[in-house]
Amino acid sequence: MDSSCLQRIKSQLVDPEGVLRNWSSGIDICSWNGLTCSEDLTHVVGLNLSGSGLSGIISPEFSCLVSLQILDLSSNYLTGPIPPELGKLQNLKELYLYSNFLSGKISAELGLLKKLQVLRVGNNMLTGEITPHLGNLTDLRVLGLAFSLLNGSIPVEIGNLKSLKILNLQQNSFSGLIPGEISSCLELQVFSAAGNMLEGEIPASIGKLESLEILHLANNTLSGSIPIELGSLSNLKYLNLLGNGLNGKIPVELNQLSMLETLDLSNNKLSGKINILNSRLRNLESLVLSDNFLTGGIPSDLCVSNSNLQKVFLSLNNLSGTFPSELLNCSSLQQLDLSNNGFYGQLPSGLDNLRNLTDLVLNNNSFSGKLPSEIGNMSSLKGLYLFHNSLTGRIPVEIGKLQRLTVLYLYENQLSGSIPRELTNCSSLMEIDLFGNHFTGSIPATIGKLKHLVFLQLRQNDLSGPIPPCLGYCKKLQKLALADNRLSGSLPPTFRFLTELSVVTLYNNSFEGPLPESLFLLKNLSIINFSHNRFSGSIFPLSGSSTLIVLDLTNNSFSGGIPTRLAESKNLTRLRLGHNHLTGTIPSEFGQLIELNFLDLSFNNLTGEVIQELSNCNQLEHLLLNDNRLTGTVPSWLGRFQGLGELDLSSNDFHGTVPAELGSCSKLLKLSLHSNNLSGWIPPEIGNLTCLNVLDLQRNNLTGPIPSTVQQCKKLYELRLSENFLTGMIPSELGKLTELQVILDLSRNQLSGEIPSSLGKLMKLERLNLSFNQLQGEVPPSLGRLTSLQMLNLSNNLLQGQVPSTFSGFPLSSFVGNKDLCGAPLVSCSESVGSERKWLSDNEVAAIIVAIVFTSTVICLVLIYMMLRIWFDWRKVSVSSSDSGGLESNREEMQWFYGEDNEKKNGDYWRVNSLTSVQPQEK
Amino acid sequence: MALWALFLLLLLQPSFLLKSSMANLEGDALFALRRALKDPANVLQSWDPTLVNPCTWFHVTCDGDNRVTRLDLGNANLSGKLVPELGRLEHLQYLELYRNKLRGPIPKEIGALKSLLSLGLYHNNLSGPIPPSLSRLTNLKFLRLNGNSLTGRIPRDLTTLPNLKIIDVSNNDLCGSIPTTGSFYKFNERSFENNPRLKGPELMGSVNYEIGC
Repeated sequence: MDSSCLQRIKSQLVDPEGVLRNWSSGIDICSWNGLTCSEDLTHVVGLNLSGSGLSGIISPEFSCLVSLQILDLSSNYLTGPIPPELGKLQNLKELYLYSNFLSGKISAELGLLKKLQVLRVGNNMLTGEITPHLGNLTDLRVLGLAFSLLNGSIPVEIGNLKSLKILNLQQNSFSGLIPGEISSCLELQVFSAAGNMLEGEIPASIGKLESLEILHLANNTLSGSIPIELGSLSNLKYLNLLGNGLNGKIPVELNQLSMLETLDLSNNKLSGKINILNSRLRNLESLVLSDNFLTGGIPSDLCVSNSNLQKVFLSLNNLSGTFPSELLNCSSLQQLDLSNNGFYGQLPSGLDNLRNLTDLVLNNNSFSGKLPSEIGNMSSLKGLYLFHNSLTGRIPVEIGKLQRLTVLYLYENQLSGSIPRELTNCSSLMEIDLFGNHFTGSIPATIGKLKHLVFLQLRQNDLSGPIPPCLGYCKKLQKLALADNRLSGSLPPTFRFLTELSVVTLYNNSFEGPLPESLFLLKNLSIINFSHNRFSGSIFPLSGSSTLIVLDLTNNSFSGGIPTRLAESKNLTRLRLGHNHLTGTIPSEFGQLIELNFLDLSFNNLTGEVIQELSNCNQLEHLLLNDNRLTGTVPSWLGRFQGLGELDLSSNDFHGTVPAELGSCSKLLKLSLHSNNLSGWIPPEIGNLTCLNVLDLQRNNLTGPIPSTVQQCKKLYELRLSENFLTGMIPSELGKLTELQVILDLSRNQLSGEIPSSLGKLMKLERLNLSFNQLQGEVPPSLGRLTSLQMLNLSNNLLQGQVPSTFSGFPLSSFVGNKDLCGAPLVSCSESVGSERKWLSDNEVAAIIVAIVFTSTVICLVLIYMMLRIWFDWRKVSVSSSDSGGLESNREEMQWFYGEDNEKKNGDYWRVNSLTSVQPQEK
Repeated sequence: MALWALFLLLLLQPSFLLKSSMANLEGDALFALRRALKDPANVLQSWDPTLVNPCTWFHVTCDGDNRVTRLDLGNANLSGKLVPELGRLEHLQYLELYRNKLRGPIPKEIGALKSLLSLGLYHNNLSGPIPPSLSRLTNLKFLRLNGNSLTGRIPRDLTTLPNLKIIDVSNNDLCGSIPTTGSFYKFNERSFENNPRLKGPELMGSVNYEIGC
């Protein structure tokens, strides 16, 4: 025996655990760790160093152990390739190298190991294809190549391995077809190729493998239908084809698999009815057909008494029908999942026949009726998932008997009544979700008995009353959602015991009073939403956690200052304190909140300036500081907030100019600076805000012209510049803002010149206010085309000439204060013409009057004729026209609102067209 | 057993998602739209379904009760289809999705938007008919569907819309004749132009108005 050869092998290994310590020349080789000698002690026949913590490489020197029959180096940390020299070990029968970090290819030389019976090299980082030379290993019983990075197709030579019993190829990247030649491996008991990229059909010839017990082809891209020949695999215990693209029906031949224990065909495209019959599959324990396109009901003989069926998973199909009472025969059933199907009707009272059931998963169906009280007898039940059905009635008090129940999901049903106190007897409960029902009454005062409760969601019910103080004894509670109820009272001081609490949402209730100071002890809070309640006092107790991500306290009555300690929560992304009575200044420490995305401090009584430190919060997308008493200037560094979409600083006491730098906030959608003391010119850079939807600068002291660059804000739908001291002409470029819709308000400025006729292009504009300026000249006739206009105010300008005829429906107040304007609804232009043009002779005047009277008479006659026609037609129209009269009487009355009644009488030229076109047809 | 446990966990996963997003139907409806749209300009990035309501999402406007009143996504380079879930926004007044690359039909569920004042879907690639259900939009004033590939006839039911002020269905592929009754008596021919198969105003009582359809 060659001890020096073994020493060279040892020298290539790193041995931190010292298992090779006794491999030294002074000791008999046959007593070296891991070595087995032949009976005559002359040869090393076995070497087992499995799980010895070895690293290093497999030395080519192994080839010197020519008598070696078994080599086991599995479960170590070996790296490098499998040396081709191992091919020289002509006596080797078993080679175990699995669970190492070996890389490289499986060398062709391994095909020389003619006596090899077991080759297990999986769970390494081997790459490349399976060498076809492995087909020479005709004595091979076990071939394990799983969990590596092998690719290519499965070689057809696999069919030469007539002795093969176990073939494990799972979790590699094999592609191509499953070779039909595999049917030659008649001894095969286990074939697993799951988790590869195998494609094409499952070869029908697999049906010849009569010894097969496990067929595992899950998670490939196999297609076609399931071959009926699989029904011949009379020894098959485990058939898993999940996660492929198999289609067609489930072959009825599968019912011949009398030994089958597990059948998983889930996540395929199988259709048709379920025809798996437990009466023939007597050994079936797990039936998984989820996520297919199966239709119809559940066959009546799916379940037989004395069956072994433990798991039935049929979710995500198109199954329908009522709850299959036949299933109640399966008393062995432990898990039943019929979720996401079209089942309907009542839950059977005999549910308690399923006395071994641990999980009942019926969510996302249309089950209706009451929860049977017998459910209390299902003493093994751990998970009850009935959400998203149409269940009605109360939760039966018998539910309190379920001592093992851990998850109760009844959300999104129509359940009502109070939450039974007995529910708190279910001492194992960890999760309760009753969201979206109609529960009334109060939260059970004994809720504190649920010591294991982690998740409690009662959101969107009609619960009232206070939070029971004993809730504080649910010390494991992490998520508490009581929002959207009618709960009231103040938060009990026992909340301080909820030290695991991370998410607490109480919004839209009527909670009141100050927060218990001890809430400061809750250090794990990350999401708090108390908005829309009547909480008062300081918000300081909520600043104890430094892991806050969301704090939303909008619409309460909190007072006092903003705690600087909030700045400790470095991950805070949403801070909403709007609509409270907060005072003091914005803490300069907020500059540390660099993750802040949403800062809403609006509608408070904050004072001071927008501090320079906030310029660090450059992730801000919403900055709402409006309706406070903030002073100072609008900071120019806001221009560095590249993600800013909404900036509202309105209704404060800001002075100075509108900073030109705001033009750099290229994503700004809404810019509202109104009701401040801003002065100076509107910067032309405003035109760079090409995404802007809303620009509101009204009620400031702005001077200078309206910059024509505003035309580039093509997406503006609301533009308000009123109540400033703007001068100059209305830029005709405003006519390019064709998406203007809500309002164009330039009123109460000192604008002069004519109204640009281009405003007639604002076809979507619903309100136009140019009043209280010094606009002169005529109202451009193009404005008459603004057919969307509902409110118009041109009053108190220096306008003259005729009002476009289409405006005659607007009230007088839309035009008053322009002494030279005429035409409906003002005095007719003929009157003003008569008084103005004094150089006409009396005769001429008389002639004109006669002409006018004549034409008016003719027009009146025509109009009367048409009105009669319209009236005649109108009566044929459905009742809706009388309905509209009712609506009009309810509408908001604005002085310059377009009168809808007039509109109907004036816009009738289309009717004229249709009438005239009828004439020739009738002739 | 571990496999089964994992499987069960995976099965229940959607329910956990549901739990957080069912906060409000309107947010869900809008998020369904987001999922159906391609948004290369990332204008819908702020649409976080885990928020209490969609009122702080960009391009969404709410009223004081946190109900969605406006959806402004004109000119946003969006493609994809409209979703029936939009019909759940029962306080929506302005649905402005003009000048995008939207395709597919106008969901009939839009007819459930009982507060809608303005439907702006012009300049897209929408196809299929104008859903007759739009006649349920009793508050509708502005209906702009021009510049699409809409087919079929103009539903007669639309003439019963009591408040309709503007209709523009020009530049489509509509057929049949143009209604002239009800609220349609006041509309200009320009509202209907460039529909090569549209045969002109309907002729009361004399000819079937579905000619050429």
